[in-house]
Amino acid sequence: MSSRIAKKRGEWINRDKPLTFEYEGQQVQGYEGDTISSALWANGVKVLGRSFKYHRARGILSFANHDVNALMTDGEDTNIRADVWPVSNGMKLEAVNTDGGVIKDKNKYIDYLSPFLPVGFYYKTFYKPKRMFPFWEDKIRKAAGLGKVNFNYPRHIKPKRYAHCDVLIIGAGASGLSAALEAAEQGFSVILVDENRQIGGSLTYDLAGDPAATDTLSTLQAAVESQANIRVIIDAYAGGYYGDNLVPIVEKSGITKVRAQTVIVAAGVFEQPPVFRYNDLPGVMLGSAAQRLVHRYAVKPFNKGVVVTANDHGYRTALDLASVGVEVVAVIDMRRDGAAQDITQKVKDKGIAVHKGSCIYEAVAAGDKLGVKEVVVCPYDETTAEADTSRSVRLACDGVAMSAGWAPAAALLYQAGTKMRYDDSIQQFVPAQLPESVFAAGKVNGVFELKARMQDGRRAAAEAMNYMGKVVAVDSVKQSLSSSPSHPYPIVNHPKGKNFVDFDEDIQVKDFINAAKEGFDNIELMKRFTTVGMGPSQGKHSNMNAIRILARIRQLPVEKIGTTTARPFFHPTPIGHLGGRGFHPHRYTAMHQWHVDNGGEMFEAGIWMRPGFYTPAGVKLSAADAVQQEALAVREKVGMIDGSTLGKIEVFGPDAAAFLERFYTGKFAGQKVGESRIAMLLDEAGVMLDDGIAVRMADDQFYVSTNSSNAATVYREMQRNVQLWKMQVTLVNLTGAMAAMTVAGPASRSVVEQLTDIDVSAAAMPDGAFRTGKVAGVDARLMRVSFVSDLAFEIHVPYKAGLHVWNAVMEAGKAFGIRPFGTDAQRLLRLEMGHHLISHDTDGLTNPFEAHSDSLVAMDKPFFIGQRSLKILAKKPLNKKLTTFVLDQGFNGELPNECNLVIDSANNISGRVTSISYSRYLNRHIGFAFVPPEQTNDGARFQIRTDSGAMVSATACNAPFFHLLES
Amino acid sequence: MQDAVLMSPVAFAHALKKPVSGDVNGMQTALSFADADVEATRSKTLSICDVSNLNRFGVKGPQAADWLKAAGIKLPETTNSWTSQENGSLVMRLGNTEFLLEDKPENQLAKTLSDTAVEQSGVHKVLRNDAAFIVSGELTPALFSEVCAIDLDNGSLEDNRLVMTVIAGVSATLLKQTLNGQSVYRIWCDGTFGPYLWKALLGIIEEQGGGPVGFNFYYNA
Repeated sequence: MSSRIAKKRGEWINRDKPLTFEYEGQQVQGYEGDTISSALWANGVKVLGRSFKYHRARGILSFANHDVNALMTDGEDTNIRADVWPVSNGMKLEAVNTDGGVIKDKNKYIDYLSPFLPVGFYYKTFYKPKRMFPFWEDKIRKAAGLGKVNFNYPRHIKPKRYAHCDVLIIGAGASGLSAALEAAEQGFSVILVDENRQIGGSLTYDLAGDPAATDTLSTLQAAVESQANIRVIIDAYAGGYYGDNLVPIVEKSGITKVRAQTVIVAAGVFEQPPVFRYNDLPGVMLGSAAQRLVHRYAVKPFNKGVVVTANDHGYRTALDLASVGVEVVAVIDMRRDGAAQDITQKVKDKGIAVHKGSCIYEAVAAGDKLGVKEVVVCPYDETTAEADTSRSVRLACDGVAMSAGWAPAAALLYQAGTKMRYDDSIQQFVPAQLPESVFAAGKVNGVFELKARMQDGRRAAAEAMNYMGKVVAVDSVKQSLSSSPSHPYPIVNHPKGKNFVDFDEDIQVKDFINAAKEGFDNIELMKRFTTVGMGPSQGKHSNMNAIRILARIRQLPVEKIGTTTARPFFHPTPIGHLGGRGFHPHRYTAMHQWHVDNGGEMFEAGIWMRPGFYTPAGVKLSAADAVQQEALAVREKVGMIDGSTLGKIEVFGPDAAAFLERFYTGKFAGQKVGESRIAMLLDEAGVMLDDGIAVRMADDQFYVSTNSSNAATVYREMQRNVQLWKMQVTLVNLTGAMAAMTVAGPASRSVVEQLTDIDVSAAAMPDGAFRTGKVAGVDARLMRVSFVSDLAFEIHVPYKAGLHVWNAVMEAGKAFGIRPFGTDAQRLLRLEMGHHLISHDTDGLTNPFEAHSDSLVAMDKPFFIGQRSLKILAKKPLNKKLTTFVLDQGFNGELPNECNLVIDSANNISGRVTSISYSRYLNRHIGFAFVPPEQTNDGARFQIRTDSGAMVSATACNAPFFHLLES
Repeated sequence: MQDAVLMSPVAFAHALKKPVSGDVNGMQTALSFADADVEATRSKTLSICDVSNLNRFGVKGPQAADWLKAAGIKLPETTNSWTSQENGSLVMRLGNTEFLLEDKPENQLAKTLSDTAVEQSGVHKVLRNDAAFIVSGELTPALFSEVCAIDLDNGSLEDNRLVMTVIAGVSATLLKQTLNGQSVYRIWCDGTFGPYLWKALLGIIEEQGGGPVGFNFYYNA
């Protein structure tokens, strides 16, 4: 472990637990607590991956969960972020996006082709000829620089949990910790989230060499850990901000959806790299990354290096490096005036040269571009971003630490609707106007000094508490920064390029200039053309520099350029997390298990599970044969279907009949007790929504059925209108409380009469009649309906007794050859009867006049829903009408499908098929279609175009279709 | 209605766990899923019990409250709250004019009311088909954090309040009561969702180290 240094106070590794793993075939030692990157770096391994586009060697950049060129595959898992993923014994890691290993990657030659692969190359090259695109698409997708998706990846259920709190604080740095303590001590419940494995934020690396700062951190940590009102969630990130302070917290184990009264964003800042040629070589890293290596993992970032900086943080970095034995050759300060005297002197006291007004013009690669061997330092003109190469100096080194400035981690603030402004004094976007109940604190709020950050945390907590109704004094926060933490333009132009702005996508300065020349000079357009910020780190280290470059190109202030839209999720989140544990409710009828046990092929019918057809065990039967046999049983003997899914609503009260008159299109006031009527529901536009049966059980009581999928909608509409119309009506939804089954076919009466005390004779119980009594000893409601057959009985019983009654009917029907039938046969049977299905044969525009339902509409009533629209529609000619049709006898061509179009003689679309099926009973193909009104007359011919384009002749035909048997 | 013809809406979902079943209130019921000691441990950790078989009576209408009072029943004063009668029967006020009563196995209040003919206008019986569960154990908050969006830690179920919420995607009624000295949660949902909800909750419960307990664990049938 050549780069591991002596134990440091606060280090995150456990030296008592050494671990061994494999990286690209090489055995590597690490410690518990190491990340993959820290363990590799400690072992002298500095090539951690290849870049996305040019396959350039890359090492550590941010060491903060954004090193997207150091992604690993470990067995079934891929795209593991090496900079944050903990090592474990036995890992077998390989870098993604290589061919032949990370060192000998065969694709590294692409780097030499880079002049021929500018941004926009793909857009301009592969769009024609069109037929070649699939070929190129395959190549491009295979070249995409991420791990290979394992399609056999096992499903690990990731729960999605809910949590609630008074104050949600995002970021457990100095300001977040201070805010948490302030609120918790006042009795508020706090959830404190941090993406690191320990709380403390930048105090765990920056200033970590300062005993006073380290003591402050220890005090804050101890106070938070002992505070019962604070729940700390570490190793997690806040994925986004949604309305009413809903924030998903993403942990490895799953997502916690936090609903908070107030949110304090104390998420800190991302360090931004200065841009110079070859700033991507392994060994060139951000200053904060170097500090993390030193203070968290006790790893020396390099042996001999330089620090290029544009703020005081670079000087602290230099001191940290020197403290662990790194030979710091120089601090290269891009600012003309350099840093304050005291910190400059501290650095000089360590024997480190300070070059003010200078830059790294370029880093010079070691052999095969796998590391740094020296840097070229030149005087730097901040106004032109040009280096004076005439006075260049070469400094030998094996590493570079970069500290040029920061960008706020403000994604959640943007998503919450915060108006941001650009603060020239600190060269950073800061909140200008926060939404209600959302607050910002610390560096994201533009506050950098440690004491001021803690004050700002307490200030934000006080404001949050005031928002929640507790009166707390709010102290103002002042900081006295000697200089800006960020450089306004940390870019160094270089004629040979390779001065990278976006490390995810290998985007150089010249790419932005070219994009602007091509007219993509708006930040959103430039983003899409150059793909800056579209890689896995989502621009956390590139967007700010891209904005600065565009601002300079357009000669505008940064604020005028603005930022790109920040959308959830803030950080790439696994699909498995987003999917989580699936809650997909299904409803089951009382006879569900019977269906399964008897070969029912169960399908989702809306939210219900229903048998489509039955293939009993041991019987070889195709689905089509099963359906035809079930339908034949109904036509020739008797069949039974589970109709429990029908909506069933009771309407009580003195206004019950008047209510139905207003709600449905038909008349119900004069309906006799024991009779049923069709109840059709329209919307205000006159569109058909639902139809069912309304039975009058008493003067003040109706029992109404709805289509299976419409029960909840109809019930909700009824509830709404009862209140709207102020009627004395009570509604009860019995859909789930009642089981229902329909016994249909010529022998149905013979079956039912064995089980009931109700007189079901034709005289006593004509079509449409409703009776109550016992069926199989159970209180039942019995109806004569004719939806699938002229003779059919609908039996409604309490759900709990449903299976008992079903079994009794099946037993009684044995002697008559009873068969259960499923929804597929039901659809065929109702088609034979000529009954359309609303929402299947009609669409979101169909009115009753178009669907032969005029007789169900009582236009002479004073009011019903949709009547006003129908009055208007009635005055207009119809464009289409639903008709039943039949294909020619003996038709054996390509069968049209539902939604195939009806084509007129001028080859125009004149309608479409809504239902079509073969009926073995009729030995004909029958269906429904929308056609021009003149083609609905019995015998009218029209043409249907099949999927293949063949034309099939159809004939409008009156229904029911049984008259075809006579021809 | 005949006895022994009724099925718990959750019955077929139980079958996978091979319970000892029996007839309670005329309904086939899972009496136990494991030894008493195992069920006791589950109950302390996290458990679910199907009590759909308890007698229930629903009533609705503008005169429902007066009708129940006239029958000598103590009613919750406010909506979304519950009370228990001296004999232990629960009375839940689901709305201004809607009530749900549930008996203990030894009580017959709900059953008596169900068998009573209602002649008064403005009072309408509501046929119930609830899947009803008891959930107990120290890990209950962890379970609810995954299936229910409301905050159960803020006293929303204290003082005999009940909430109508969505549990694992299903509309449900939820309250907390003390049963045999143990604080338990009660859940009612439409019985047609019962098998789904049982499986969804049980899946999480078993992941957490708990399991199902039978009806006999809470009630001596």
